Amino acid sequence: MANSSSAYRRILLRIGIAGVVVFAGLQFVRPELKNPEVTNELQAPPEVKDILRSACYDCHSNETKLAWFDQVVPAYWLVVRDVKTARQHLNFSELGAQPAAKQRAMLYEAINQVQLGAMPLAAYRRMHPEAHVSESELAVLRHYLETSTPQPEVSAAEVSAAEKQFSDWVAAGPASAKPPAAPNGIEFPADYRNWTPISSTDRFDNQSLRVILGNDTALKAIAENHINPWPDGSILAKVAWTQQKDGQGMVRTGAFQHVEFMIRDSRKYASTKGWGWARWRGTGLKPYGDRPSFSDECVGCHEPVQGNDYVYTAPIRGQR
Amino acid sequence: MRLRNRFATVFTAVAAVLLSGCTAPNPLIATHLNETAAFGGGVKLNPLQGKVITSWVDRRTAAMSTLTGNETAVRYARAGGGPAYPAGSTLSLATWGQVEDGRWFGARIPGAPRSVEIVTVSQDANGQRLYSYQKYEGAPLKRVVSREAGPADERLQFLISQRASVLP
Ligand code: HEC
Ligand code: HEC
Repeated sequence: MANSSSAYRRILLRIGIAGVVVFAGLQFVRPELKNPEVTNELQAPPEVKDILRSACYDCHSNETKLAWFDQVVPAYWLVVRDVKTARQHLNFSELGAQPAAKQRAMLYEAINQVQLGAMPLAAYRRMHPEAHVSESELAVLRHYLETSTPQPEVSAAEVSAAEKQFSDWVAAGPASAKPPAAPNGIEFPADYRNWTPISSTDRFDNQSLRVILGNDTALKAIAENHINPWPDGSILAKVAWTQQKDGQGMVRTGAFQHVEFMIRDSRKYASTKGWGWARWRGTGLKPYGDRPSFSDECVGCHEPVQGNDYVYTAPIRGQR
Repeated sequence: MRLRNRFATVFTAVAAVLLSGCTAPNPLIATHLNETAAFGGGVKLNPLQGKVITSWVDRRTAAMSTLTGNETAVRYARAGGGPAYPAGSTLSLATWGQVEDGRWFGARIPGAPRSVEIVTVSQDANGQRLYSYQKYEGAPLKRVVSREAGPADERLQFLISQRASVLP
């Protein structure tokens, strides 16, 4: 009895020592994480940058500062992976190289990710409570964009370009040539223009007007209030136009920019959250993206509304 | 025993803290229809059941509108339009006050309905075009205007002369 229990203890001890040795040894398996030079930092006022610096820069910049507990393997491996992916998506140390409009669009996306609770990553927030963006900090970020986003009048050239686009479209007649499929193989849903409007948006972040349309399956789902998850066969379309202002407060749809789709098929599109994503641009309906994985960008920005089946729009009740 | 109890308490507390980050649902994301913008009341025609002709925003009144039409109206508008909609056309204009899109800072979406306007085009025995114009307002929406309208009617002219949005 006594004998076997001390043998048991000895085995435990050996396993314990082996564990410590392996743990210590693993500490030397360290993928490299460099802080490259900061070349083109985002251009924004200091109060805005301060907030981003304390909440986001550990992952989204070349100024990553790891806490001691982040440096311990295996946590370190996860952190390195997060930082590398995060920098690919958004790097505040390099964003400044982009045109002002692109920087601004990224800031809108960043604020929305914060507002919807998607960023900073939840796992990081638990270990770094100081990285939480407070309501008042969020207000500072919002105020900055609200007051700095230009709302330009429309030039005469833009107006006549939109008029020409309209007359060319009318001359071409309805549904002319079928456009090429999107890089992920999705075919253009040609009948979209006859679907039913379920909402609309007026975007002051990028000066566009949009209408959101649903096909019959989507409309039935709305009527029955079964929109999470949306049933297979539902298709949502969003059409975007530039804003054409008349200088007296009326804003009409100007040039057609693009139409994009979310096509529900939970099996076929399982790898992209159950939706097929596709976008066609300009009246020439040029497919957007140059490889099948272009839809990572769509999914990434729709990720914060994951809990709503990746859909942003709240359809107006009472459709059909 | 006591030790185990205390361990259980501490464990539960730690687990709660760790889990709260992933489980606390953000109310902005919770699934819902846009109830505020729904049309109820005395509107017989669903103002959005047709196909899109165009949409616009009036900054002076912070309102946004969607103009839809039945098959006849939409075919005409998309073929170049102009104010001579053929008999059999029905156009509906839905107008809402704008509200901030809770899910996207940078967007405004339909809030409470402001009005619904409906134009129907017919013709008399001599082939002369006849127009009727109806307007619904208030919460719940009630019909406030119903008139035969001539081509000189300003609001009617406005509605039938809007250019269709390009939908290639
Ligand atoms: C712990 C690391 C980490 C922190 C801190 C962090 N992020 Fe991220 N972020 C990521 C990762 C990883 C991704 C890549 C997408 C994913 O995996 O969800 C990402 C993606 C993004 C994206 C791009 C989404 C897309 O379109 O693909 C935005 C915008 C963003 N983060 C904003 C922020 C903002 C703003 C903050 C600070 C308030 C922040 N992040 C803090 C790790 C982080
Ligand atoms: C920068 C963020 C962002 C990116 C990137 C993005 N979307 Fe969206 N999407 C939105 C927002 C916000 C809405 C809500 C409508 C609006 O405000 O315009 C939306 C709405 C939609 C809708 C209408 C249904 C819904 O979810 O509300 C479709 C369809 C859609 N997007 C398709 C796409 C496709 C396809 C792509 C990629 C080619 C894409 N989106 C990329 C932000 C984004």
